[in-house]
Amino acid sequence: MTEALLEIGRRSGVHALMSSAWGWPAAESAHFIGLSVLVGTVGMFDLRMLGLARGVPMIALHRLIPWGVAGYALNVATGLLFLVSAPDQYLYNPAFQIKLALMAIAGLNVLIFYRLVFAHLRLTDPEADPPRSARIAAAVSLACWVGVITGGRLITYYRPPYHWCFWC
Amino acid sequence: METLLWLEATALSIWLRESGPAFFGSLTLHALGMAFLVGSHVATDLRTLGVAPGVPLSLMRRFRPVAWLAMVVVTASGVSLLLAYPTKALTNPVFYVKLLAVALAIVVGRVLATSLLRSSDSDAQPSPPRAKLLAGLSLLLWAGAITSGRLLAYTYRVLMAADVSP
Repeated sequence: MTEALLEIGRRSGVHALMSSAWGWPAAESAHFIGLSVLVGTVGMFDLRMLGLARGVPMIALHRLIPWGVAGYALNVATGLLFLVSAPDQYLYNPAFQIKLALMAIAGLNVLIFYRLVFAHLRLTDPEADPPRSARIAAAVSLACWVGVITGGRLITYYRPPYHWCFWC
Repeated sequence: METLLWLEATALSIWLRESGPAFFGSLTLHALGMAFLVGSHVATDLRTLGVAPGVPLSLMRRFRPVAWLAMVVVTASGVSLLLAYPTKALTNPVFYVKLLAVALAIVVGRVLATSLLRSSDSDAQPSPPRAKLLAGLSLLLWAGAITSGRLLAYTYRVLMAADVSP
C-alpha cells in the first residue's frame, strides 16, 4: 500500500512539487482555507439547524452549501497530495485513521440527510425550529467536522516510529 | 533577548512547550478556533457577494456570536502557543504579517457588520459595490492570515533564545 502510493506520487510529479521549497506549506495553506470554507458554509448551516441565528431562512441559507462542497473537494485534492508524498506518516497514524472514520460517518450523514431529512426541512416554516431529525443530522455533522479537524491537527503528534493500526 | 530567555525558562512556558496535551491541545484549539472564526466571516462575505440571496443580509449578523466565541478561543490558544515558543514567533517577521492580516480582517468584518448588517434597508437589493469590495478584501485577508500562520512552521530562524545565547 505504502509502496503503491509512493509510486503514484513519483510518477504523477506530486513528489517533485511537494518536496520543492514551498510545495508542502502551500498545500497545507490551501487545505486550511478549504476547511474554513467548509466550516463557514456547512458548519453555519448546521448551527442554524441547531437553533443559532433563528430567523435566518434555512432553505435560503442552504444555497451556501455548494461552496462547502468546493472546499471539501479542495481538501480531498490537497489531502491526496500529502498522502502520496508520505503515506507511512498517515496510514499507520491513529489520528489519521480516526479522521478518515469520522469523514466516512460525515459522508453517511450527508446521504441520510438528503434522503430522509431535507424534504421535511423544505416543508418547515422558515422561521420555525427545524424538525428533530434535522437537528440530529446537524449535530452529527458538526461533531464529525470538529473531530476531523482535531484528527488532522493531531497527525503530527503521532510521528513515526509511532505505529498503531489493525493491519500492521 | 534577555526577556525572551527569562520567559522561555518560566514554569508556564516549559509546561506549555513540553507537555504533549498542553501543546497539542493548544494547537488543536487554535486550528478549530481559526476554522470557526474564518468560517463565520466567510459565510457573511459570501452572502454579501451575492451567494444565497434569499437570506436577508442583515440577519447574517446573528452568526456574529460564533465569531466572538472563536475569537476568544483563538486568542487564548494563540497566547499559549506564543508562551511555549516566544522567540520562535517574535523573531519571525511572518508572525507580524499574520497578526496584521488578522487585525485588518477583524476591522473589515466589523465595518461590514456595523454598516451593512445593521439595518434591514439593504436586504432586498444587491449589496453596494463598496460592501462587495470589503467582502472580497475580507476573504483575501483571511486567506493571508491562514497562509502566514501556516508558514510560521517553515520560516522561523531561531527556535529558542537559549539556542543563540552564549
